[in-house]
Amino acid sequence: MQDENLKQTMNESALTQVKVIDLTQFIAGPYCTKLMSGFGAEVIKVERPDTGDGMRSRGPFYANEQGLERSIPFLYLNTGKKSITLNLKTSAGLAIFKRLLKDADVLIENFPPKVRLNLGLAYEIIKQWNPKIIMTSISNFGQTGPYKDYKAEEIVEYAMSGLMFLTGDADRAPLAAGPAITQYAAGQTAYAATLMALYKRELTGQGQFIDVSIQECALDLRQLTIMDYLATGAIPKRNSDRHPLCPWQAYPCRDGYAVIVGAPVRHWPRIAAVVGNPELADRKYRRMKDRIRRRYRIEAILKPWLDMHARQDIYHAGHSKGLAFGYVASLKEVLVSPQLQARQYFTQVEHPVVGKHMYCGAPFRPSQTPWQSRRAPLLGEHNESVYCGDLGYSKDEFISMAERGII
Amino acid sequence: MIRVVKDKLRLRKRVRRNRPSNGLPLNRVRLLDLTHVWSGPHAARLLADWGAEVIKIEYCQRMDSTRGWLKRFRLYNLTPHHLQLDRNKRSITLDLKESRAKKVFEELIKVSDVVIENFRAGFMASLGLDYNHLKHINPEIILVSMPGFGSTGPEKSCPAYGASLEAVSGLQSLTSYGKGERPRRLKELDMFVGLQGASAVMTALFYRQRTGKGQWVDLSQLESVLTALIGEHLLEYEMNGNQTLPIGNHHPSFAPYGCYRCRGDDKWVVIAVRTDEEWEKFCASVKHPEWKNDERFCNTESRLKSLNQLDILIENWTIKNTHYQAMQCLQEAGIAAGAVLNVKEVCSDPHINQRQFIRTEKEAGKGGLRFPGIPFKVSGENGDVFWRGPCLGDDNEYVLCEILGIPLTELGSFQCGKIGTAYDSEEG
Repeated sequence: MQDENLKQTMNESALTQVKVIDLTQFIAGPYCTKLMSGFGAEVIKVERPDTGDGMRSRGPFYANEQGLERSIPFLYLNTGKKSITLNLKTSAGLAIFKRLLKDADVLIENFPPKVRLNLGLAYEIIKQWNPKIIMTSISNFGQTGPYKDYKAEEIVEYAMSGLMFLTGDADRAPLAAGPAITQYAAGQTAYAATLMALYKRELTGQGQFIDVSIQECALDLRQLTIMDYLATGAIPKRNSDRHPLCPWQAYPCRDGYAVIVGAPVRHWPRIAAVVGNPELADRKYRRMKDRIRRRYRIEAILKPWLDMHARQDIYHAGHSKGLAFGYVASLKEVLVSPQLQARQYFTQVEHPVVGKHMYCGAPFRPSQTPWQSRRAPLLGEHNESVYCGDLGYSKDEFISMAERGII
Repeated sequence: MIRVVKDKLRLRKRVRRNRPSNGLPLNRVRLLDLTHVWSGPHAARLLADWGAEVIKIEYCQRMDSTRGWLKRFRLYNLTPHHLQLDRNKRSITLDLKESRAKKVFEELIKVSDVVIENFRAGFMASLGLDYNHLKHINPEIILVSMPGFGSTGPEKSCPAYGASLEAVSGLQSLTSYGKGERPRRLKELDMFVGLQGASAVMTALFYRQRTGKGQWVDLSQLESVLTALIGEHLLEYEMNGNQTLPIGNHHPSFAPYGCYRCRGDDKWVVIAVRTDEEWEKFCASVKHPEWKNDERFCNTESRLKSLNQLDILIENWTIKNTHYQAMQCLQEAGIAAGAVLNVKEVCSDPHINQRQFIRTEKEAGKGGLRFPGIPFKVSGENGDVFWRGPCLGDDNEYVLCEILGIPLTELGSFQCGKIGTAYDSEEG
């Protein structure tokens, strides 16, 4: 264990020495900067005094008790960052912000475009303050176009990118996604885009402005449907998750839902042994085209076997023959998954208000530059170290800034 | 089932591809793409859009499944999924189990920056091409491995496709019309995993740029999805012992929030009212100012209690409007609302068009195919769709002869024999 720790500290981080000023709130922006801090960047989250990131006031809350340090999504989305408070609506606040940007590499923000410009944060101005900075703006519909000032929530993005139309049942309303998939996709895209700009800056010395549209990131997730339409005119509808290939979906089983995916396709004949029914290996099901045509017969053969077996047994039975079966897992089952436990995916993080808990760890594992699991900051926790330590304000100035409501 | 493009350009002669202009961020990066199906090819495609020279290596006796199952007239070169996911890449054919082809691959390692693969764990090692071997050939090489469940652990060799991953990750349990109802799929996981793959490459490339050190990245598709999409929900379960989702189209703390039927066949609008102030604006814009004083609806708490009555009244209004009318009317008042667009509407939407999201392949000029574009724009030079997914083996000559210097006369001996699909057999 000690060796393990030693190794951890000896390793560098991928983004060491990258300084990120983070003006983001809610999901897309904070998820992007969470990735940056996890891979070693110094992320200074700039929050409005008193209430901070709006996500601090959104639930669900730890132990169902409201509080600025208790929002579960906030605690998750802001791991490893520093928090300072700053009122950007005051000219003194803006002047401090300018100093903060001076030696920063990246500025990430996700204000609505209008709000950003009203705050005086046009890229043309930021660029004058720091010509080498990478400024990444994440917004609902991008910085240009007729919808640029449209308001949005997750469900609105999901609807306007063509994703929702295809989710759910043919005879019911389109169904919203549970997780905030469009905003997470935008945060992930912004992460990759910002690193590309940093990579280019190392070669050319030039900063850049990046305009990330949540809607377009969602469209990117649906690129194959769009491509099919552009190439062939196909307009698919909701179909209650009936997959065009067969079998390729979740079916009811003894204790829930099991997923039968007949893939890798070349391994199909092995399914006969898994299900214990030699008919499935018959020539008449040999080709995918045949299986699609005989979908109902295949499902009729699978049904009694599914009814008799438990989800996890079905999952493992498929895997034992190299088939990509699955089961609809509950969150509880994910938390105790032997695979995730063996890989020590969940890591314990201690927070002064909510205590010790297990958090999801690295999205991917660079062998030489591991992910760092640290807690989310309290509101304004790093005010003194950043303002007095990094920026060199005196203790008196610091107190006066707080009294005047600037920080 | 497998669609192919009806395209007058399809019999075109192979064009000599010049690399896109050198103002793109990744144009000095060469990436060997050993991936197949959706997630890996998407990861490599994202990097190709931004200038990386991506060489897709296919085993021609089992081509990538995105090429479908039709072999006659070389229709496998014309499936939309392949044209999109392999755009801006080059295509070569190599059977890595064969010693001469393996030698070629090792020569390529010497002149490349990144290798990306999504085989099941251990397959690269079985070819004798694990990271330690690659590092021996080129100490600065970056290898990103994307197996379904990661490269270690009891389930490491299990295959995973989007449909199984979405279920096993718990994601599917979070989306349904309500608690106790059948879980529903989002079906976007493969692309999300692709984004993670591109992020992994960029993370390792940036580190190498500063330090000169290559490394191996182990990307478990399962873990990449958990961290991105389910982390907050797993943490809620871990902290509170329960979970808020699924709740269909409603929201735990906002009302009205949902999907409402509009005029026309299968037309819908979504509406999200988050505060009492927005509710007042909403009542004014739908011309029912009396609703805001109705005690069933006067504040969020009462509206959450009277959801059914509220939804009926709202739908009485939306049904009289088209989805675009309802959206525009509410957005003008500053209410978050959106038309539920189908793919045709997406592709003709004025906003999406004004942002020029849909791109025409540059290489083909007039009459070229249209493609979904790039989800972000930069102030410098932008990525684009330079060319469609290449025909199988189109770049054998460029890669083997020009890059590696193998004499043109020997190229024929590398030609692959029988062509086979990832499906069972010729499907006709």
